[in-house]
Amino acid sequence: MRIDRTHKSWLIASLVILGVATAVYIPYARNSITGPRGGSAIGLAFGIIGSAFMIFSGLLAARKKVEVWRLGRAQSWMRGHLWLGLLSLPMILFHGGFRFGGPLTAVLMALLILVVASGLFGAALQHYLPKVMTSEVPFETIFEQIDHVRAELLAEADELIARASAPLKLVAAAPSGDLAATADSVLGAEETLAPLRNFYAREMRPFLEDHRGRNQPLADQEKARGIFERLRRLLPAGMHETTTSLEEICDEERQLRQQVRLHYLLHGWLMLHIPLSFALLILGCVHAVMALRY
Amino acid sequence: MHSPQETHEDSPIGALTNKGVAQTALGAGPGFEPIALDELQQLPFFQGVSGTFLSLNRGAVVKRHFKRGEVICREGEYGSTAFYILEGKAQVSISSPMAHVKTPGALRKFLGKLSSQLTQRDHDQREEENKQLWIPIDAPVDLAYANPVAELGPGDLFGEMTCMSLYPRSATVRAQTDCVMLEMLRNVLDIMQRNKNFRAQLDKTYRERALDTHLRAVPVFAELTDEFIGSLREKVELVRYTPGQVICKQGDAADAFYLVRIGFVKVSQAHPGGEIILAYLSRGDYFGETGLLHGDMRTATCTALDHVELVRVGASDFGRMIEQFPDVRRKLEAVERDRMEQNRERLSLTRSVPLDNFLQQGLMEAQSLLLLDLDSCTRCDACVRACADAHDGITRLVREGLRFDHYLVATSCRQCLDPLCMVGCPVGSIRRRNSLEVIIEDWCIGCGLCAENCPYGNINLHPFDVMVDDPENPGRKKAAVKQKATSCDLCTNFAEPSCVYACPHDAAHRVDPRKFFAGLLGQGKT
Repeated sequence: MRIDRTHKSWLIASLVILGVATAVYIPYARNSITGPRGGSAIGLAFGIIGSAFMIFSGLLAARKKVEVWRLGRAQSWMRGHLWLGLLSLPMILFHGGFRFGGPLTAVLMALLILVVASGLFGAALQHYLPKVMTSEVPFETIFEQIDHVRAELLAEADELIARASAPLKLVAAAPSGDLAATADSVLGAEETLAPLRNFYAREMRPFLEDHRGRNQPLADQEKARGIFERLRRLLPAGMHETTTSLEEICDEERQLRQQVRLHYLLHGWLMLHIPLSFALLILGCVHAVMALRY
Repeated sequence: MHSPQETHEDSPIGALTNKGVAQTALGAGPGFEPIALDELQQLPFFQGVSGTFLSLNRGAVVKRHFKRGEVICREGEYGSTAFYILEGKAQVSISSPMAHVKTPGALRKFLGKLSSQLTQRDHDQREEENKQLWIPIDAPVDLAYANPVAELGPGDLFGEMTCMSLYPRSATVRAQTDCVMLEMLRNVLDIMQRNKNFRAQLDKTYRERALDTHLRAVPVFAELTDEFIGSLREKVELVRYTPGQVICKQGDAADAFYLVRIGFVKVSQAHPGGEIILAYLSRGDYFGETGLLHGDMRTATCTALDHVELVRVGASDFGRMIEQFPDVRRKLEAVERDRMEQNRERLSLTRSVPLDNFLQQGLMEAQSLLLLDLDSCTRCDACVRACADAHDGITRLVREGLRFDHYLVATSCRQCLDPLCMVGCPVGSIRRRNSLEVIIEDWCIGCGLCAENCPYGNINLHPFDVMVDDPENPGRKKAAVKQKATSCDLCTNFAEPSCVYACPHDAAHRVDPRKFFAGLLGQGKT
């Protein structure tokens, strides 16, 4: 979600809540004889508010499971998740008096800090990366279709090479009384096409087949440009169109790789954020029960 | 039956050049009987036809024998032949449920589930729904909405549109008694239709059996008296046009009113930037009244898109009609006002934004676009999942399409101003309201032609489990799957489409492209 002008009201409301909470906390912390504690009335209030913010933030996952339920627009829930989730950190810090306490509460504070930090990281990724994806991957496709598109690119490249080799086969197949002349023609055509065929077999096809391969020169745009320029110099002018088509296929494969990278960045951070959040909520419940009961 | 492999030489149908249709065979086996040359020559509609032509094209017409109960053709199937009944009777019907797809939500509104159902128009009135009582089909009769069954007998020709223009079969035809029919390809049908006697016979059949219902099927003419229609019966002219032929030109003097009997007509107006398509008309539609109402010139050019047959009502008969029936005049004037308003909106659109910026992508043809802001979209597919969840698991949107600036124009119905989806519907069930929103009527037979015609892939076929009459066991029903065409319905039961509602990143927007892109162009962001 882009953090832009449309978040202004949320920002203002959050600052107001933070301001009010700070205004309550400071005199409370100063005047409290044993120091601010989670078990005091004000400390408990901060704990409840902070927990409520965390629970609401956690409910976003549930809200996303029932996308069409008319429970408020998904973007409103997301904004609430971002701002109230962020506010939960100062609330819980006020609740604990900026102390980490025993093992359970220390783990909880660490979890909270990690969840908020990962959330901020994710929010930053989701703010910047979509624009990067749009500008760097003009050939973007639906993520689940990438394998299919790759298969099509490979088939297209194979087809281009097969067509380029077709004159060779025609020369070889053409009936001619002069075997020596035919052999010369075939050899001549072979030598002409050899750079293209060798390049395709040794560099380009492996590049298209092995998406995770390392040390692939074609994976770098500048290097690839240089490679294709050199290839064009080795080939006759009639093969330049084929070479350009192959270059475009490589460009598209590079874009798909970039799309995969960006996609995992955009969504991969959730693999940390979500489990930590669940752990935080569960342990938070344990803490609440234990603190209140015992 | 086998598809013909025609040689297209001087004439695509081979009829005018006396060249044979190479390797043509309309099937063999039980029920197929090749027809001898002398037998062909004895048929009245082949009298006068060159023996050489008949000899060369014998393979393009066969005699078919159908046993009682046998299906001759099914609605929605593609074909390339027409049938002429020599003996016996056949039943023509539409077995698809007479119902439209409705996505109710009164109780389910909270849950947002728009479980699709088939609902008849008696139970669910939609805005500007076509209340016509007759369904146009590719036969010399129309089918009644209340009971879409009719009978065909000797001398009846059906499947003309399928044969001439390769449209899907519009109805199911089943032999009611043992039948003998001629099945023919286009070249043979064409030569039959050129025969004066045959044409006269077809015209007579149409005037006696279909003209009444055809006229009355037009809501504006519902109140014409039997006497008046009787007086029109012999006066109207049945005229034919070939694909691309101009029927009437913008600016010409108005001299007739036309009712579409077969085929599709394109209505367009000349514009400085090019031709603007105003409408596509199919069987049951009419045109030409505007110029006649005001004694004026034609306001648009009408062109045959395929093989078109029209009922032509001369200016004097039209004048007599509006004089005798003032209500008809009032209704026609109301329709004319609506059309003018639509045309004005359509033309103002083309003037408000430079056409050349958008013509390539067809964006300004759309009235409603689903745009995904790619700078905000995290590609989470929540929009697609929401659409599928809201429509029985069948999404009506695909997160793929052309890009404009940093927006993705998602694949979802655009409510196009030039609705190519409407061309070719064999039963005329896809049309648009005065608001220009696409509506699919109850008698959609699920043939899928509109889905094929949509250049953006925005129409889907939604399967429904229904119980239909089992013809092999009269009185019993059997389970069947029937399809109905669906497209984005903008989740009209809700304040906001589900896709937009479910987007957590404020990236999905349904916009009016005129306002949206005009703003962008104004900022020079092209």
